[in-house]
Amino acid sequence: MDLTWTAEERAFRKEVQDFLKAKLPADLRAKAFAHHRVTREDFVRWHGILTDYGWGAPSWPKEYGGTGWSPLERLIFEIESFKAGAPRLIPFGLSMIGPVLMKYGSQAQKDRFLPRMLRLEDWWCQGYSEPGSGSDLASLKTRAERVGDRYIINGQKTWTTMAHFADWMFCLTRTDTGAKAQRGISMILIDMKQPGVTVRPIKTLDGGADVNEVWLENVEAPLENLVGEENQGWTYAKYLLGHERGGIAGIGHCHRELAILKSLADRTMASGESLSLSSRVRDGINRAEGQLLALEMMVLRVAADQTDPGPKASILKIRGSELQMELARLQMQVAGADAWPYDPEWMFADASYHGPSPEYSPAAAAAYFDMRKTAIYGGTNEVQKGIIAKQIIGV
Amino acid sequence: MDFEYSQEQRMLTDSLRRLVEDNWSRPKRRERQGAGVLNLNAWSSLVELGIGGLLVPEEFGGFGETPATMLAVHQELGRGLVSEPVISSAVIAVTLLANCQNQALKQQWLTAHAEGDAVLAVAWQEQGERDAQRPLCTRATVSKDGYSLEGRKILVWHGAGAQALIVSAVLDGEVALFLVPADTQGVSVQDHPTFDGARAATISLKGVQLTKTQLIASGVAAEQLLTLALDHGIVALCAHACGAMAYLTDSTIQYSKTRKQFGQPLAAFQVLQHRLGDMLIQSEMGLSMTYVATNALGEPDAAKRSRLVSMAKVEVAAAARLVGEMSVQLHGGMGMTDELEVGDYFKRLTYTDMLLGDTNFHLQRMQDLNAA
Repeated sequence: MDLTWTAEERAFRKEVQDFLKAKLPADLRAKAFAHHRVTREDFVRWHGILTDYGWGAPSWPKEYGGTGWSPLERLIFEIESFKAGAPRLIPFGLSMIGPVLMKYGSQAQKDRFLPRMLRLEDWWCQGYSEPGSGSDLASLKTRAERVGDRYIINGQKTWTTMAHFADWMFCLTRTDTGAKAQRGISMILIDMKQPGVTVRPIKTLDGGADVNEVWLENVEAPLENLVGEENQGWTYAKYLLGHERGGIAGIGHCHRELAILKSLADRTMASGESLSLSSRVRDGINRAEGQLLALEMMVLRVAADQTDPGPKASILKIRGSELQMELARLQMQVAGADAWPYDPEWMFADASYHGPSPEYSPAAAAAYFDMRKTAIYGGTNEVQKGIIAKQIIGV
Repeated sequence: MDFEYSQEQRMLTDSLRRLVEDNWSRPKRRERQGAGVLNLNAWSSLVELGIGGLLVPEEFGGFGETPATMLAVHQELGRGLVSEPVISSAVIAVTLLANCQNQALKQQWLTAHAEGDAVLAVAWQEQGERDAQRPLCTRATVSKDGYSLEGRKILVWHGAGAQALIVSAVLDGEVALFLVPADTQGVSVQDHPTFDGARAATISLKGVQLTKTQLIASGVAAEQLLTLALDHGIVALCAHACGAMAYLTDSTIQYSKTRKQFGQPLAAFQVLQHRLGDMLIQSEMGLSMTYVATNALGEPDAAKRSRLVSMAKVEVAAAARLVGEMSVQLHGGMGMTDELEVGDYFKRLTYTDMLLGDTNFHLQRMQDLNAA
């Protein structure tokens, strides 16, 4: 065992840092540190910059235009990118449907879709959850019927993140109603820009609307848009969930939020003194930093071990969400009552007005509200603990 | 000790619950909040039930009610997420004026308040001062006819809806409190929405000229008055949170009985049953602590009173956080939307810690009062 970074890994980190220093636009960085909303164009711009440099697909093998990085290199890239204030990479293509198509997709699907994922030329969304099927995803009801040379799809999806930007959806549909739960599900690629697709944004607690309801009414998909085999969609969905193990902990996000938290505490004054000198405030920050280092090491351990992570994947999801929520809460605590006045309009970088308090404050409460989602999405923390229990008890 | 409501308290809370259920339904509440200004009809309907004069002494046209009645009333207001300026005006400002020695101001403003003709706001916070109750940058100087006021106040709860402001300032190195009609020359008010649907204002005071009679109190008396008034406000805020927690716990229990996953209602899962149990435990303990603090408002020893009030603030804020967070969790994705009531309650419960001194402030205050 050697717990130190190798010379190669240190050099790689330096290379990433130098790249970010040179290529990350200042306005994007500023948005990240002010928690301002990142637009579709911002994401497209950043993906373009990375692709120009050859880093458009950090988790892909070289044969598909990826970097061919090791899991540890990918993590170093993720952490350094977040620390520098880069926008997150939109995961729907790169981390979700992309790897599924590489493993199970037809050659035609690979040729058509994979190259367009790097620059977000196609914006993908994930058609999984339904109004009656959240934690219990396998109970989904959206129906795909084979009619001649196509599928006719009917149903309703919900919590579809960024569907309002999407050109394509990878959609879990029921193709065999006779089969039990997971058995009769197929994954179909659906063109979002066709009649019968209706997207309605869902306003969330922070006043934003990143998630949507999507209605599919007699929507068509040619048979060639089926991923893999019919009724095997659950297998692909599970492969997809397990693919980006490192990402689920939000470790990069946590690093950036800790930095923001420390900076807020330094800048916030109370009776002539920086709040970071208050032991009550400092204790919370120091504890969070320790938890972050433990989580990071946990992520590295899982990433370095390419065998089945077993219950460790759920540990990462749970602890990652808990830390993200805690960091948001601590930021709100540091902002104090300054975080009380709030108008969702203040979250846009081009808004002329940012409220009565130092600019960071309105975002502090909004982020606290919004981060509660991390304990719900991707399988609630209760469901994750159930998974852990099943695996360790062996039932 | 008697935990039963008196007949009068029962009648008042029953009427209030009916009014709030009818007129603070989610659509009506939202519509008024969206308008961005204090809705005078809504305010009047509260005043008609006696909310404006509840704590105003009888000699000024009020009811001179006890803290226990205040507790009962604010639980009802919290159940319905009433965001009108009851705590800021009818509790904090009224308590401050009712306990001062300036008879002319009491006659004028307490009477008007009980009648529903005036809303008041207390402007005590300043930038960079967090929750400290001593003013730092707002200064009063003696002028020819009275006083001149310069400075800036922030986070003034419903400041834009008030006809008069009670402003704290430094006068000759001591704390002084002034009554400043909002239309006085040199007063400018910038109004902001808050995340829970209330309003907070930033108030600038430039060359504001006041007469001698507008001084409410100065020196130690002013400090004591402000602390007394804010302590009453904290207890009302705790009661408000308890009402909101009771409602939210109940509605989350109902939701968990109807929402099904894996072929069963959520309420059938033991882990979720325990979460609901935790919510009820926290709600009940929060309410009990609020009873303690309500009782403490009658305590003649101000240090003892404030220490108990701080304890309640810390406990109720923690309870409010747990109940709010768990309610969202139990509602799953729906809890994250702006489309159900649970989000509104979560946000309101979140401000329980934020307003009138956060947990760190009150822990420090307890420590200081222990030492004293």
